[in-house]
Amino acid sequence: MIQAKSLTKRYSGRTAVDRISFEVEKGEIVGFLGPNGAGKSTTLRMLTCFLSASDGTATVAGFDIARDSLKVRQVIGYMPENVPLYPEMRVREYLRFRARLKGMRYRESISAVAEAMDTCSLQEVERKMIGTLSKGYRQRVGLADALVHKPELLILDEPTNGLDPSQIRQARDLVKELGEKHTILISTHILNEVEMTCNRVIIINQGKIKASDSPSNLIRRLHRPGQVNLEAIADSGGLEKLRTIPGVSEVTSSETDDGWTRFQLTSNAECDVREPVFALATECGWRVRQLEMRRPSLEDAFVDLLTNEQSETASAD
Amino acid sequence: MHAFHVLFLKELRSFFFSSTAYVVIALFTFLNGWLFVGMVRAMQTHASPGSLIHNLLGSGWFWMGYLVLFPLITMRLFAEERKMGTIEGLFTAPVRTSEVLLAKYAASIVAYAAILLPLFLFFLAFYLITGETGAFHSGAVIGSAVGLFLVGVFHLSIGIFASSLTANALVAAMMTFAMVMLHYFLGFLQNFGIIPDSMWAEFINYFSTVRHMEFLTEGLIDSRPVFYYISFSVVLLACTHHVLESRKWRS
Repeated sequence: MIQAKSLTKRYSGRTAVDRISFEVEKGEIVGFLGPNGAGKSTTLRMLTCFLSASDGTATVAGFDIARDSLKVRQVIGYMPENVPLYPEMRVREYLRFRARLKGMRYRESISAVAEAMDTCSLQEVERKMIGTLSKGYRQRVGLADALVHKPELLILDEPTNGLDPSQIRQARDLVKELGEKHTILISTHILNEVEMTCNRVIIINQGKIKASDSPSNLIRRLHRPGQVNLEAIADSGGLEKLRTIPGVSEVTSSETDDGWTRFQLTSNAECDVREPVFALATECGWRVRQLEMRRPSLEDAFVDLLTNEQSETASAD
Repeated sequence: MHAFHVLFLKELRSFFFSSTAYVVIALFTFLNGWLFVGMVRAMQTHASPGSLIHNLLGSGWFWMGYLVLFPLITMRLFAEERKMGTIEGLFTAPVRTSEVLLAKYAASIVAYAAILLPLFLFFLAFYLITGETGAFHSGAVIGSAVGLFLVGVFHLSIGIFASSLTANALVAAMMTFAMVMLHYFLGFLQNFGIIPDSMWAEFINYFSTVRHMEFLTEGLIDSRPVFYYISFSVVLLACTHHVLESRKWRS
C-alpha cells in the first residue's frame, strides 16, 4: 500500500526526516511511534502530499506522491494532528462538504455521510455547530471526515491526543473495527494503544527508523533481565536464601506498611525463577501473598531503544 | 471543475451565512445613500458638467468607504485557513491548488458584487420616483459598472494575495488596505504637485484609478484600463498560487 524509499525532509539547517524507507502492506494496521519532534507528522504530511520530500520518494497504492498527487490524495483518508475543523459549520454540513470535495456526487455524499456518522456515532450531534462540540466529538468528526469517501488507506496523526481514558478506549475499538476494511497508518506516542491495536510498529527517532517489527517481537528482542516480585513474611535469613537460587543476580527487599516484606528479584533474561522461589518459600514455611513476574512492555522496548540511542550519541561525542 | 464548484458554494455560504456580511452591506449602503442624497441636493443648486453617477463615484467620500471593503472581504480567505489549520485538510483532499484559489476568488467577487448592488438600486429608485434619466445616462451607468468591476477584481486579487502571505487575518487586512490605498493615491500625486509635469506624470497616470474612473463613469470604455486591471489581477493570482504551493518546500 505504501512504499517509502529514503524519504527525506530537510528544513534549513535541520533534517526532520532522514532517508527513511518502509513499507505498509494492504490490510495492515501499522503504528508509527516516536517521541515528540521525531518526524512523525512530517513523514505523514509528505505521504499525504501536504509537503513535498526534499529527497527520496514514496508511492501510495502504486501512485507516486510527487507525480500523481491527486490520485494519491484520492486513495488516502487523512486525519491531521489536532483535527482542524471549521467551527462555524454544522457536523452534517461539514461532512457533506468534505465528501463532495473529495469527488463524490451529491446523492452519493448523502448516504456516505450517513454511514460515516453511523460508524463514528455522531448522529446525535449532526445538527450541532462544530465549534460547540467537545474534544471527543471533534475527534470523531475528524475521523468521519477521513473515512467518508471510503478510502483504502487511513492515515491518522495522533487520533487519541487529548482524549480522556474512556474515549481513548472507544477510539481504540473503533480503529480496530476500521482495520477490517482499511489499511491504517496511525501515529501516536501512547504505547499501550499501539500494543493493543497494531500488527506492526515502526519506531522513529530524530528522523530515522529505529525498529520496525510486530509489538511482541520488539518486546522479545529486548534483552531485559527478568523481574520477579515476591511479597511474603519470611524468616530473618530470607534475603540470603533467595540470593542462593541459581539464576538470581540481585535481590532487594523493603517493608510494606502492614508488616510484610517485598522482595524484588532480578534474574537472567532467559530463566524463570518463580518456581524455585515458590519451592524455597514452602520449604521454609514462609507465608506468601504475591509472586509475580513483571513482563517487559512495549514501553520498555521503546524507552530502551531511545536510551540506547542517547548513550550512543553521547559516547560518540 | 467539481472541486471548484463545491468550494465556491462553500465560500459563498460562509460569507452569506454570517452576520458580518449584512453589517458591511448595511453600513456601506447607508454611507452611499447619505452621499447620494447629498449629491442630488448639490446638483439641484449648482450646475455640474458630469452626470450624477460620475459625481458620486468621483467623490472622495465614496472611495473612503469603498477601499475599506477589500480587506474586509478578503482578509479571512487563506489567513483563517492557516490559523485554524484547516488548510491541511483542504490541500490533502484531492483538489488542485488552482481550483481552491479560483473558487475563493470567484466567491469574493460575488460577495463584492452583492455589497455594491444596492448602490445601483439607488439609481433605479431615483428613476422610478422622478422618471428622470438625464442625471445618469445609460452609458454612464454601464461604464461605471464596468469600472467598479475592474477596480474591484484588481483590489480583490491584492487582498487574496495578502491573505495567502500570513496566518493572521488582521495583518492580511492591513497589508491589503495599505496596498489598495497606495495604489489609489498614485492618482493624486500629480494633483499634490509632487510629480512635475513630465513623462513621469504620464507614466503615473497610467496607474491612476482616479483617472481611469473619470473616463469610465462617463461611459468611455477604453481598452487600456481593461487590460491593465485584468492583467494585474492575473499576475497577483499567479503570485498567490505560488505562495500557496511554496508551503510544500519552504522551511
